[in-house]
Amino acid sequence: MTRRISKYKRFMMMNPIVQFFKFIFLSLKVLVIVAGGHGGTRKA
Amino acid sequence: MSKIVVLGAGIAGHVAASHLRRKLPKEHEVVVVSPNSNYQWIPSNIWVGIGRMKPRDLIFPLAPLYAKKHIDYKQAKAISFYPEGDNEEQKPYVLVEYVTGDEKGKQEKVTYDYLINATGPKLNFEGTEGLSPGKNKAHSVCTYTHAQEAWVALEEVIKQMKQGKKVKILIGTGHAKATCQGAAFEYILNVEQELRRHKVRDMAEITWISNEYQLGDFGMDGMLLSYGSNIMKSNEMVEMVFEDRGIHWILGAGVNKVEDGLAHYETLDGEYKQESYDFAMLIPSFSGHGFKAYDKNGGDITEKLFKGFMIVDADYTPKPYEEWTVQDWPETYQNPSYANIFAPGIAFAPPHGISKPRKSKNGTDITPAPPRTGMPSGITAKLVADNIIEMIKNPSHELHHKGSMGNMGAACIASAGFGMTKGSGISITTYPIVPDFKKYPDTHGRKLGKTFGSIGLAGHWLKLALHYAFIYKAKMKPFWWLIPE
Repeated sequence: MTRRISKYKRFMMMNPIVQFFKFIFLSLKVLVIVAGGHGGTRKA
Repeated sequence: MSKIVVLGAGIAGHVAASHLRRKLPKEHEVVVVSPNSNYQWIPSNIWVGIGRMKPRDLIFPLAPLYAKKHIDYKQAKAISFYPEGDNEEQKPYVLVEYVTGDEKGKQEKVTYDYLINATGPKLNFEGTEGLSPGKNKAHSVCTYTHAQEAWVALEEVIKQMKQGKKVKILIGTGHAKATCQGAAFEYILNVEQELRRHKVRDMAEITWISNEYQLGDFGMDGMLLSYGSNIMKSNEMVEMVFEDRGIHWILGAGVNKVEDGLAHYETLDGEYKQESYDFAMLIPSFSGHGFKAYDKNGGDITEKLFKGFMIVDADYTPKPYEEWTVQDWPETYQNPSYANIFAPGIAFAPPHGISKPRKSKNGTDITPAPPRTGMPSGITAKLVADNIIEMIKNPSHELHHKGSMGNMGAACIASAGFGMTKGSGISITTYPIVPDFKKYPDTHGRKLGKTFGSIGLAGHWLKLALHYAFIYKAKMKPFWWLIPE
């Protein structure tokens, strides 16, 4: 096992308050990407 | 009045049937033919495989829902296709065979005006000698029953570790051309976390084995992604996570034989090696179902419908990797020979891979097959349903709804451990799924910002939220259609 994630980063990754806001951000970001539409490629 | 037959009730089949039923007046008939009695939310199978969910948490019976929603349901499997009918039946039909109840074994000609083939993949365990769920200490999480069996075996191994036995755990792909690395990736991280929760992590050596050339390929040729304020390659991100979790890896490995606690594999260098294990979860290759098709005179026309999976509006001309383009990928999932047949989700034959093809020095193809996860399956099924609705209203209508995987984003919320406070998830989005090297030449074919990665507790919450949201949607509860595919 090699520590590749610093203690500070791990704290941020697992802190419920920080992660609550991250959850909101991720939900919106995923929604924008998915609901952002799709289409063909051949007439582009 | 039109009759639309949907083969399969997985993510693609169920999405297509539910949208058709919601949008079409009741005089049109929607029929679902599936050998399965339950709907299952496959992305949560990995949690069944670590004992943190029960199968009942991710399945529900199809028959009562379809009866309530006026969708005709036949618990049967497709046998063969007759897109021109035959001497006795003028309308096109699919020959199906019932799989349960008093009608078990009975065959029926199910006629249609429009056919949606959403039969997904066949789990091709026989493609790897000795690979079968629950045999030779090797397991699968491809279905909820497989995942439940995997948990029973893993629980036993955990008990042995608590008694002081050191064990080797091997998780990854069980064939040189397997896909679905994402599911195996989720499972290995969840198993690692569960071992820590049971305080036996130090008793296990955990190894990832995969046909990928690099970590983080996922059958999508890897990706360059935004990670916080940095730009990172997916292989660097996965390497960081594996090293941090103490997981070893074997790459470019085509597993070709599984014996009791021993996986045989060939490497890209052409070497034949073995890896021993006490518990393994190896994803099999996927294949078509081997359906046959006949014209109205009984002549074999299988090659007009199938190329392993179903032929659609893709460009299947063989060409080298350097000449692959996003334009090769289908837009409408319509069969070019029969305009009333469609194949969304995993049922369509991809024009080629996404990852760069590689052969071993012995000439064996060791390359991940292209993945088609739940999100593109749902999106393509919905657009097929919308096109059929337009065709019913105006048969000469051009197909307006298009969705190429070269112009579609996807989110992969990979669980990295279960728990409301101790859980973790790796959230990755990609846009587009198939890299467009002409549009995004400097960022490995994808748009940065829309292609990003994030690790943390929020990822677990998001995956859990999606689990409940999509089961709510699949149960067609009030306003279900507001939840996007």
